[in-house]
Amino acid sequence: MTKFNPIRIIAFGVLLAAVALAGCSQKEPAGMLRVGLSEEPRTLNIWLASDANSRKILSKIYQPLYQHDPETLELIPWLAADLPEYDPETVAYTVRLRGARWSDGAELTSSDVAFTAKLIKEFRIPRHYSRWKFVTRIETPDKRTVRFFLKNPKAIFRSRSLTIPIVQQKEWEDIVRIARTKEKPLAELLNHQVESPVGTGPFVLKQWREGAYLHMVRNPYFFGTGKTIAGRQLGPHITDIVVKIFGTSDVAILALKKGTIDMFWWGIQPGYLDDLRNQDDIHVYFSEKSALYFMGFNLRKPPSDDPHLRRAIATLIDKNFIISRILQGFGTEMYSIIPPGNRYWYYPEVEKYGAKLDRESRIRKAYDILTEAGYSWEAPPIDDAGAVIPASGIRLPNGQPMERFTILTPPADYDPHRAISGLMIQEWLRDVGMPAYSRPMAFSSLLQQVKGRHDFDTFILGCGKLSTDPDYLRIFFLSANDKPRGWNMSGYRNPEFDKLATESSQAMDREERQALVRKMQEIVLRDVPYYPIYDPLLIEAVRTDRFTGWVEMLEGIGNIWSFTQLKPISRDS
Amino acid sequence: MELRKYIFRRLIEIAIIFFVILTVLFLLFRLAPGDPVTRMVDPNMTPEDAEHLIEQLGLDQPIGLQYLYYVKNFVTGNFGVSFHYGQPVADIILNRLPNTVLLFTTSIILSALFGIFLGKIAAWRKGESTDTWMTIGALICHTVFLPWLALILIWLFAYKVGWFPLTGMISAEVWIDPEAGFLEKAWDIVHHMILPLGTLFMIHFGSYLLIMRSSMLDTLKEDYILTARAKGLEEKTIRNHHAAPNAALPVVTSVGLSLAFSINGGALTETVFTWPGIGRELVFSVSNNDYPLAQASFLLIAAVVLLANLVVDVLYAYLDPRIRYE
Repeated sequence: MTKFNPIRIIAFGVLLAAVALAGCSQKEPAGMLRVGLSEEPRTLNIWLASDANSRKILSKIYQPLYQHDPETLELIPWLAADLPEYDPETVAYTVRLRGARWSDGAELTSSDVAFTAKLIKEFRIPRHYSRWKFVTRIETPDKRTVRFFLKNPKAIFRSRSLTIPIVQQKEWEDIVRIARTKEKPLAELLNHQVESPVGTGPFVLKQWREGAYLHMVRNPYFFGTGKTIAGRQLGPHITDIVVKIFGTSDVAILALKKGTIDMFWWGIQPGYLDDLRNQDDIHVYFSEKSALYFMGFNLRKPPSDDPHLRRAIATLIDKNFIISRILQGFGTEMYSIIPPGNRYWYYPEVEKYGAKLDRESRIRKAYDILTEAGYSWEAPPIDDAGAVIPASGIRLPNGQPMERFTILTPPADYDPHRAISGLMIQEWLRDVGMPAYSRPMAFSSLLQQVKGRHDFDTFILGCGKLSTDPDYLRIFFLSANDKPRGWNMSGYRNPEFDKLATESSQAMDREERQALVRKMQEIVLRDVPYYPIYDPLLIEAVRTDRFTGWVEMLEGIGNIWSFTQLKPISRDS
Repeated sequence: MELRKYIFRRLIEIAIIFFVILTVLFLLFRLAPGDPVTRMVDPNMTPEDAEHLIEQLGLDQPIGLQYLYYVKNFVTGNFGVSFHYGQPVADIILNRLPNTVLLFTTSIILSALFGIFLGKIAAWRKGESTDTWMTIGALICHTVFLPWLALILIWLFAYKVGWFPLTGMISAEVWIDPEAGFLEKAWDIVHHMILPLGTLFMIHFGSYLLIMRSSMLDTLKEDYILTARAKGLEEKTIRNHHAAPNAALPVVTSVGLSLAFSINGGALTETVFTWPGIGRELVFSVSNNDYPLAQASFLLIAAVVLLANLVVDVLYAYLDPRIRYE
């Protein structure tokens, strides 16, 4: 008699069920694009959505008046019918709308645009308010025309204010009315749960099953369908987008290879490349990012308040080494604060410290800079015979020994590139006898120390997604922004820069502004409050067997142009 | 009567301990560096925006006042709104907790049943090859690095062989299909559950096997086992009815506490398998300085663990007549 053995029976049952289920094929309509995300979107409330994943979803639903051309990055009328008209007499912009409809079928009108702007101003919505606070009055002469009156000329109005997503007055006016009556109206507005956002974009949300997937379907009222905008015939030709969440990149890459998803909408680490390149039906895209990874100095205290020391440190940093060894070649050396991919504003003719020098030459040059500035050593890095030797005991120009010089970085589990770069820079600074110590610390602590307390020598941080408008150059270094939580983290104060920055923000002529922005880049790289290091390449991978037509631009292929132009590949062909 | 008094006394102790935890949690999160606003690395976020947001979140209030609101809200059952999601914390927990309980509780119950069963056999066959292999297997399973095991199982059974889905709890393709019925959806969940359940089972059952084996070996040396043998009882009866029930007592403690801790899920398991449970949320909420969500999650865990301790202690008295509460 056979003995009852529960292990065998359960194992057999599991195997049987698995095999049976493995045979069940999952249905995937030809027009359904399946996208992988690394994390679930935070919210569908556009005003709370400060995370990248929420913005990815919402950018397919809510649309702005203007988009950026994928090649030139010029403004392209989107919900607007043409470019805004500026009247210097009244300091007013006039925008005319094209005929567009919301996803509920209602017409987009100038009232919706005015409502959006007034909502931002009234509730002082973080991240948006600074782009609208200088608008004093909004008129809607007819349902297709909006006129914005500005307190004074603002260059960013075209590129930063008119590119915010427009919301429907009908959807939001009741929410706004209730929020106004609350003790904390902004909190009330941000905490409002949006379940079915009404937008003008190519897709509309059908279902969000939290923790599992989002399902978007084609918006039948999308204004762009069949139209040619910026020389591109728009669809969308895909019927659905299903967004799946993957907790780790490892599994997302397996899903891509297996065909469970058609695109992984997240930057891929170079370590996966060899594996992906061996797959016939996977294509890897390399895009420039609008990002800045940099070393920031604290100009409020010695020794980093000395520009000579900052220039010497800049000379010692071997960006080529960081790109080739730490980023494995997938990055660009940065010499200015504006990334090279932002071609109109980028100015390459700035001071390039230590460019193309070898290790010894860097040490010699840094030694010369420091010696001229009055630094001395117990054991200098260059001996009497001119040879490079281990240095120690560096002294400041006032004769005091240099104290521990700390380089704050995020921890390796947050960003290994910045953590390892910090360690390398530590070693390079020690080559000239500086008592440098790289100190990885939790990201929140790092930001609090740098932005809040201003208690640091140097830090390595990154801005992963800078706007195409260069106004951040002004924001980062304007004296007025040197305050707790302010973006002038270095405490840089230069009246010459402030004057240029203010002029640039008011220059309505693009070429005039370009000249001012170039001059600002020159000054920053002369004084080195920040020292730009690298701009990593964005690596993205897609399957090529189901869809074609991805559009490459700055910041990758996950742009509105791709999603409105992608076409399913006919299975018959 | 003694038991009632004991339970009453323990409940008062639990209430005091819980209040201490409530306070310590509040202080820990306030002492931790950063705040929910500092993390927003966006040049469009001006200092004025940040101050306004902090004021709207109530974080500009003196810490004593914040604490009073915190206690008052807790007592009235208001766990607040998540800073990160903008959703009521209770909704987030209620949404995620059943997924965690489903996976982790099932895995603990299954692994405990198998661990007790196999541990009993291993101890009974001490020194034989069955015991050796079971002990080695249990040690390997117990010490293996969970994310590594999970990824290997995913690679083998989901990617290479294709028996199971890669990750997640459900397949979008099944759930958005209007023709899919209840059974198909239920099977879909079971199908997704097999790999994470298998991983957790392998990790947990080894420890139960080892505890049971060790306890059983001690029990087998007891006088009443010798007495049973002297009475001429069958070996199987001695093993299953005299030794095993007594030896299982330490496992009961372990299972009870594991069940309690299972509500916090496992951040690693949930991350690798993209299982939408409370474990991942707990880690996110701490790293995002989402105080309301993190506090509520920890308080929930504390409450369940404290009560589970009490239940295990009471259960002991029923399982072991020698134990009396005075």
